[in-house]
Amino acid sequence: MSTVTNAAGYLENLVQSWRRPPAASLFWLDQLRAHAMNSVGTLRMPTTHDEEWRFTDISPLGRLPYPAARAAPKTQFSDISHYYLEEAIYRLVFVDGQFAPDLSNVANKADAIIGNLSSLITTHGDTIARYLGQLAELQNDIFTALNTAFLHDSACIIIPQNVSVTTPIHLLFISRQKEITSYPRCLVIAESGSNVTIVEDYVTTEQAAYVINSVVEMSLSDTAHVNHIRIQRDNQQAFHIGNCTVALAHASQYRSVSITLGAHISRYNLNVALAGEGAECTVDGLALISGHQLADTHTFIDHAKPHGKSRQLHKCIVDGIAHGVFNGRIMVRPHAQLTDSSQLSRNLLMTNKARIDTKPQLEIFADDVKCAHGATVGQLDKEEIFYLMSRGLSDLTARNLLTYAFGGEVIDRIAIPSLKKQLEEIILARTQIS
Amino acid sequence: MSAVLQNLVNQPYKHGFVTEIEADIAPKGLNEEIIRLISSKKNEPEWLLTFRLQAYEKWLSMPQPGWQNVKYPEIDFQAISYYSAPKPKKKLASMDEVDPELLRTFEKLGVPMHERAALAGVAVDVIFDSVSVATTYKERLAEIGIIFCSFSEAVHSHPELVKKYLGTVVPIGDNFYAALNSAVFTDGSFCFIPKGVKCPMDLSTYFRINTEESGQFERTLIIAEEGASVSYLEGCTAPRFDTNQLHAAVVELIALDNAEIKYSTVQNWYAGDEKGVGGIYNFVTKRGLAKGANSRISWTQVETGSAITWKYPSCILRGENSVGEFYSVAVTNHYQQADTGTKMIHIGRNTRSTIVSKSISAGYSNSSYRGLVRIAPTAENARNYSQCDSMLIGDQCGVNTFPYIQVQNNSAKVEHEASTSRIGEDQLFYFLQRGIGAEEAVSMIINGFCKEVFQQLPLEFAVEATKLLSFKLEGSVG
Repeated sequence: MSTVTNAAGYLENLVQSWRRPPAASLFWLDQLRAHAMNSVGTLRMPTTHDEEWRFTDISPLGRLPYPAARAAPKTQFSDISHYYLEEAIYRLVFVDGQFAPDLSNVANKADAIIGNLSSLITTHGDTIARYLGQLAELQNDIFTALNTAFLHDSACIIIPQNVSVTTPIHLLFISRQKEITSYPRCLVIAESGSNVTIVEDYVTTEQAAYVINSVVEMSLSDTAHVNHIRIQRDNQQAFHIGNCTVALAHASQYRSVSITLGAHISRYNLNVALAGEGAECTVDGLALISGHQLADTHTFIDHAKPHGKSRQLHKCIVDGIAHGVFNGRIMVRPHAQLTDSSQLSRNLLMTNKARIDTKPQLEIFADDVKCAHGATVGQLDKEEIFYLMSRGLSDLTARNLLTYAFGGEVIDRIAIPSLKKQLEEIILARTQIS
Repeated sequence: MSAVLQNLVNQPYKHGFVTEIEADIAPKGLNEEIIRLISSKKNEPEWLLTFRLQAYEKWLSMPQPGWQNVKYPEIDFQAISYYSAPKPKKKLASMDEVDPELLRTFEKLGVPMHERAALAGVAVDVIFDSVSVATTYKERLAEIGIIFCSFSEAVHSHPELVKKYLGTVVPIGDNFYAALNSAVFTDGSFCFIPKGVKCPMDLSTYFRINTEESGQFERTLIIAEEGASVSYLEGCTAPRFDTNQLHAAVVELIALDNAEIKYSTVQNWYAGDEKGVGGIYNFVTKRGLAKGANSRISWTQVETGSAITWKYPSCILRGENSVGEFYSVAVTNHYQQADTGTKMIHIGRNTRSTIVSKSISAGYSNSSYRGLVRIAPTAENARNYSQCDSMLIGDQCGVNTFPYIQVQNNSAKVEHEASTSRIGEDQLFYFLQRGIGAEEAVSMIINGFCKEVFQQLPLEFAVEATKLLSFKLEGSVG
């Protein structure tokens, strides 16, 4: 590990390394980056005194002066092919935030525009300019502001009107170098009536610490459907800060499953705005952590218009001396009548050193709504164990089976067989205590 | 919603009148001199003055909290008079000697003291502004060793008990308003139930804020020794004023082994008019320490008044097998704001807690449930069940739920449930179709919604609370 500087080291180092982009780049993109850098100047690293970061102490990150990744190491197909999904025809691979065209399979045709920012900016610059950096919260979130300030490439997916992309689009973000910060970025524009499944997948070949600061923006026009699966399997030294902002127009549907397995400290902010009437979202999550890991999920579902519907199931399985944090905020704005919202946070503590902080939060300003939330924290049900043992299973097998089933409920919501199988194997391996 | 129900809310505050009694008022403002003045007026021993001054020091260094979900103009702590007492008169030997004006006040409130005391068997320690004027049934209680008196009296008659327990549950620097209270509290109630004694009647204090602009700083201390049990009632009404009044009380409960304390509150202070002008700021710190094994602390509250209610009656469950309970109904209307809930801190093994919170918002009001359930690593087999239900009446009000759940022991079982609903069109239709008027129907639906909490109240309070609710919400359903 390189020299440890003061608490502001991480930020200062990054700010110093920031350069104005080359003159050839586009004016609007330039402006966006400069604007984001200004925001960085007005913000500071959050501490546990900030309500939003009360349970997640990211001060260790502040002491790591990891510069932005410059060049990515040469990556062979064989290094990463085991991460590929057989169902996915389209694949965008980013190595330490740099696009790897020879490992990817892009599309630029009438029925799907799938590629990276640098190549699509010439053909679809206007569309991209309308959305990029417009949804993500630059003003108040330092990590989003940093990502935008260091924005040099991005995954861009534009699904034109009434097009259904039948195969999943795989976004593979690979970390290959230690002691760097990478800024994965993704923009999804689903035009009206379109339908797409996106797998956002974070993997690594490195064993030492690095920082990932990702930002995803998704815009769903009227009646668009987006399935979003997010898998975070960084190594146990890594820091992972992810932000995802989704805007839903009239009668559009967003379904998301996020699986958190890796990172020393991870934080995922998912903001879903139901900005059109009759929009629906399903937001599910599973965090399976052990050792010294800390996994923090903050979701915000904003019912701004009438007839919205949201469903959320978030589960944590916490082993070792790990620490799980969940904050699920649901807001029903005035006049968002006939909103139907339900949320459940379920947590399983495997050891007596594990810790859970959960806060399902409802803020309701309309009267004709149906809102419910629930939270449970506990260990495996003794009666369930007894039942399985009465059928001839050993205590250990019964426990493993029940733990696996607890996590399996969320995995079952992933409709891609090969990915589901990969995850099932990971969960199975992690929940087999012997 | 039908127009029939629209006219039901705006009933004026029934208890809005001022009793004209000469009051002995300290000059406005807060400084060391005022604290010394309060202390000397009350002939306090040196240690209590030190306690006050330490709290004042602490208070000076504390910032005003800003995390709450209620809004109010900044309070000028120098514009408040910190001491107000009815002019001292000679010691009263019986009820007949009580100021007739004062008695008439209670008459108007519908709580004739003798009647209430005799019929209900309740000893009422009457707090009128800041000094206790009359204490009834004291002797009967004294026979079995129960000490039930005003706080100032306890300081003189039982200084060792007060000194031993004061500030042990709510330390002087606990929070901004608790520190303020510790510095300037004027009076309150003191209750001590000795070992093995079951208090034969419900103890009750009748609070009444009287002098305009005199913030009231009550201090209540209840101690139940090993195997003792007590049920304590607190009921509140205040006269109508247009300037806001700050009320920052501190209540400390201590339950030793096998002891049981049940604390019930019906709060109906002046809530401001329908435009949100005036009303009481009710910023209270209430906390119970279940110190002994198998002890039990139970809070029941019906909060219908005050412009702002901001309190979290809490339980620290330290003793093994100790039990904490919180039952609450909070009603807000017009521009009232409430940020209330509870904290259940599980420390001991096999501790259990139950939270049932019901909130009803109407008009332009805003109501929040904010609760904390913390399971410490030492709390083996702790169990919590929380349920928060909200009802919205009208589309201009808001309800929020902020349940914090922090678990550090895997043998714990914590469950939280919350739901939000409103009075359905079809529910009303069903009532109307059976010949029950809209107003009565709403009252019945709301009482059904709050039933679980009302069942926890002592009988006479339950009756009062039921009436209070329908009368608070009159006209809000339309």
